[in-house]
Amino acid sequence: MKEYGILRRSGWRSYTDLAAALERADRVARDQIPGDVRWIRSYLLDEDRGEAGPFCIYRAFSPEAIRRHAARAGLPVDEIIAVAGTLISSHDPQNPGGWLPGGVAQATQPTKEE
Amino acid sequence: MTISSAGELLERSEPLAVLAKRLDAAQRADRGTLVLLSGEAGIGKTALARAWSTSRPGMRALWGACEALETPRPLGPMIDVAEQAAGELARLAAGDPSPAALVRALAIELRRRRTLVVLEDLHWADGATLDALRLLARRVEGVPTVVLATYRDDGLERTHPLRVLLGELPVAPSIVRLRLQPLSLAAVQQLAEERGIEPGNLYRRTRGNPFFVTEVLAAAERGGVVPETVRDAVLARAARLDAVGRRLLDMVAIVPPRAEMWLVEAMADDELNSLESCLASGMLEDDGSTVGFRHEIARVAIENAVPPEVRVTLHRRALSALSAAADRRSDAARLAHHAEAAGDSEAVVRYARLAGERAAAMRAHREAAAQFARALRSGSGLPADQRASLFESRSYECYLTDQIEEAIAARREAVRLRYELHDPLRAGDGHRWLSLLAWMAGDNHSAQAEARRAVELLEREPAGPELATAYSNLAVMRLFAYDISGTLELGARAIELADRVGELRALTDALMTVDTAELMAGSPAAGARLQRALELALEAGLEEQVARARTNLGLTALAVRDYKLADRQLAACVEYCSERDLGTWPLYIAGWRARSQLEQGHWDAAAELATTVLEHPRIAAPFRITALVVIGRLRARRGDPDVWASLDEALELARNAGELELAPVAAARAEARWLGGETAAIADETDAAVACARAHADTWIRGELLVWRRRAGIDEVAEPTAVAEPTAVAAPFAHELGGDYRAAAALWEGIGCPYEAAIARAGSPDARTARAGLAALQELGARRAAARVARTLRHRGIRDLQLGPRKATSHNPAGLTARELDVLALIAEGLRNSEIAARLFLSEKTVDHHVSSVLRKLGVSSRTKAATEATRLSIPTHSQR
Repeated sequence: MKEYGILRRSGWRSYTDLAAALERADRVARDQIPGDVRWIRSYLLDEDRGEAGPFCIYRAFSPEAIRRHAARAGLPVDEIIAVAGTLISSHDPQNPGGWLPGGVAQATQPTKEE
Repeated sequence: MTISSAGELLERSEPLAVLAKRLDAAQRADRGTLVLLSGEAGIGKTALARAWSTSRPGMRALWGACEALETPRPLGPMIDVAEQAAGELARLAAGDPSPAALVRALAIELRRRRTLVVLEDLHWADGATLDALRLLARRVEGVPTVVLATYRDDGLERTHPLRVLLGELPVAPSIVRLRLQPLSLAAVQQLAEERGIEPGNLYRRTRGNPFFVTEVLAAAERGGVVPETVRDAVLARAARLDAVGRRLLDMVAIVPPRAEMWLVEAMADDELNSLESCLASGMLEDDGSTVGFRHEIARVAIENAVPPEVRVTLHRRALSALSAAADRRSDAARLAHHAEAAGDSEAVVRYARLAGERAAAMRAHREAAAQFARALRSGSGLPADQRASLFESRSYECYLTDQIEEAIAARREAVRLRYELHDPLRAGDGHRWLSLLAWMAGDNHSAQAEARRAVELLEREPAGPELATAYSNLAVMRLFAYDISGTLELGARAIELADRVGELRALTDALMTVDTAELMAGSPAAGARLQRALELALEAGLEEQVARARTNLGLTALAVRDYKLADRQLAACVEYCSERDLGTWPLYIAGWRARSQLEQGHWDAAAELATTVLEHPRIAAPFRITALVVIGRLRARRGDPDVWASLDEALELARNAGELELAPVAAARAEARWLGGETAAIADETDAAVACARAHADTWIRGELLVWRRRAGIDEVAEPTAVAEPTAVAAPFAHELGGDYRAAAALWEGIGCPYEAAIARAGSPDARTARAGLAALQELGARRAAARVARTLRHRGIRDLQLGPRKATSHNPAGLTARELDVLALIAEGLRNSEIAARLFLSEKTVDHHVSSVLRKLGVSSRTKAATEATRLSIPTHSQR
């Protein structure tokens, strides 16, 4: 499986609607095509005109698997981007401006195809 | 079963309700359903099925189960069901039927009398049963019943045949998927408290797995230790029996999945004395004719704990009891299983060979291959010709199940033995097989060498069917090497000899090969031989040859972009194959169907088909190439990642598969370079292919290659003269090379290729035409192509280009947002707001809001008027997007 970012700009009126849609889509994935795509997280983007859209991170075997899931789950796909790796800042929440020991934490290595 | 002290099945009301509803619908409205019930081992699938079937006492229930055997009985559960139904169906089942025949007869029987059907444990299903399931899924809607099929989904790898099948099943209202969840803490608490066990620890250990929970509760004393694993729980329960009882458990455990009473009686000394106590303890159950464990988990736990010497003894007893029972038709596969575990080589060979032949006859090819392997494992003492024969059988069955490496290994052994036996005819035939297998493994070089070796060897013997087949094979190999004259010459020899000795398979194959070569050479005679081959194959019932002929007819149409004909031919071929035992053939065709869909602009369908090919765990390398090219082009056009992953693999495979495959790959790579802005690389990508294409009458591929080179700035001359001219290209490409973009686009549209039409338009010097091309690309979802084109247009000074993430707005005069368009499309289909909300996963309130907005923006007062307005403004509906 590889990691992909998906930009899904679309006109959801509220974050609640959007979240419900993403969760339903996750159930579709688990029930109908388990092992094809795995939802990791979504960032809910604040767009113009009071409409919300997500930027999603999924793990999947191919971009086509992502599009297939999206079609079944009724989600749009605007752009798919390959994610090579993830870095997470280990900013110390107790100490604004400070860093935890170890500095920047690398969450995942850039992956080759599995 | 996790039943509360009140006797109900805990926490299973929802799935039971679904089953009840579907059964009602089946009876009332004659609409059948296939329910696929999954869950981890021990989750209670059988318990649920039993609860469901007993809830309808007036209805007949037919049960079939797959067995956890290394080589299960072919069509096992289907035959169980047929035998229970008795009558015509049972008669058919007794005669080694094919999956298709059995399913057809079953459907008739289910219409005749109200029935529900349960098929258990499909993760252990043999190949023939999976075929039957596939056919059942297609037919179930028209049968007034519910078929409940259960399977374990923990540990089901991507390459598992059931998993592959489930992925291929369509999303249809007649197919329902249910997944059973573990028990909640509350349920475990309820059960634990009834026994005085601490619920928290129990829940943590068992994770709510019903089987595990019941095992622990059965073995536990108040306040006792909860075992670590299910296996420990089972063994703890077994430990409470006495030695005799334990021996009985062992005996029953080595006969999967359940042991017949007569068998246990024949195998036992004094163990039967403890049958009552074993039944009373709940470790064994008895249904009248058989005795077995409550669950396969328990049986496996006990079986694995049997000491090795005891195991051998028990298997010997089982074997002798089964083989001595002359009045009962004991399944050869079963006998082979016990023989192997007992270490009785002679019996293994005898029964495994028989089981293999039977499995092959019933089209359970994977099982047949395994049985022949088993026979060979134990058959090292057999005479050479019998071993050679077994290797040949195994090789063939592996070939049929796309286990190509294994097929090659077995065939090599067979050939070696045939040389030892001084049998040149079979040795030569073996080389011919190795040639075909090498090609399927993607090793063109070996394929050519083996093909030549076969002919050399067989030409020294009196001419016969083996030589005819070898000629036919070499002809095909020369075709892949782009050696047209060689193909025609050898093909002619094959045809002549095959006709003379009556070897119909080779005759039809050779006719088709020659036809393809003639097509490539631009000969007007092409087509006639293909027709004759098809007729011969149909007459002689040569199914594989019929499939190949029909495929070739489809490909001939596809090559000239006659999509209607191509789709019709290829679909007919798939239909033909799925009703027969031609397992992976539809997959081969899927790649070309994907190409057809791609070229017609149906990109989602193309992706779906191509992905089916690529995700199949074992498909011959050359058939991946077309699918990889389709996926590569799609990703490049859409701007999706992993473009070069697919196109690099395609190139690698094409290089090994023969020059014939290079040109389409080169064209796709050229396009991907252009889309990626790497025009300098196009010359290198296409040099070799262009040289090849000059020798070859495919004016379309030649045209595409030249057009990409032109776009890269390489100037070559081409005129649309007669087809046989080495410089002729297909008309739309010719127009484009001649600078007439408008004519090119018009032609592409007439043929039905929206992408090529759009690209042609975008190249036009006329700003309006160019803009229309860009808009069309966006409409198709060709994001990167659109971006590339937009860049070029801006360089040319064309301003005011509409680019944006919403592909809808480019063709959206009323200024509706994407969501509003979705809603409008469904209004136009007549859906109510609640239905729209369900379909789009929105709340009804949101849908109401969108509907008002839509009506306002369109300036209409009713939904019907909105739908009309949508058509008038050519706003695309849901099905078109």
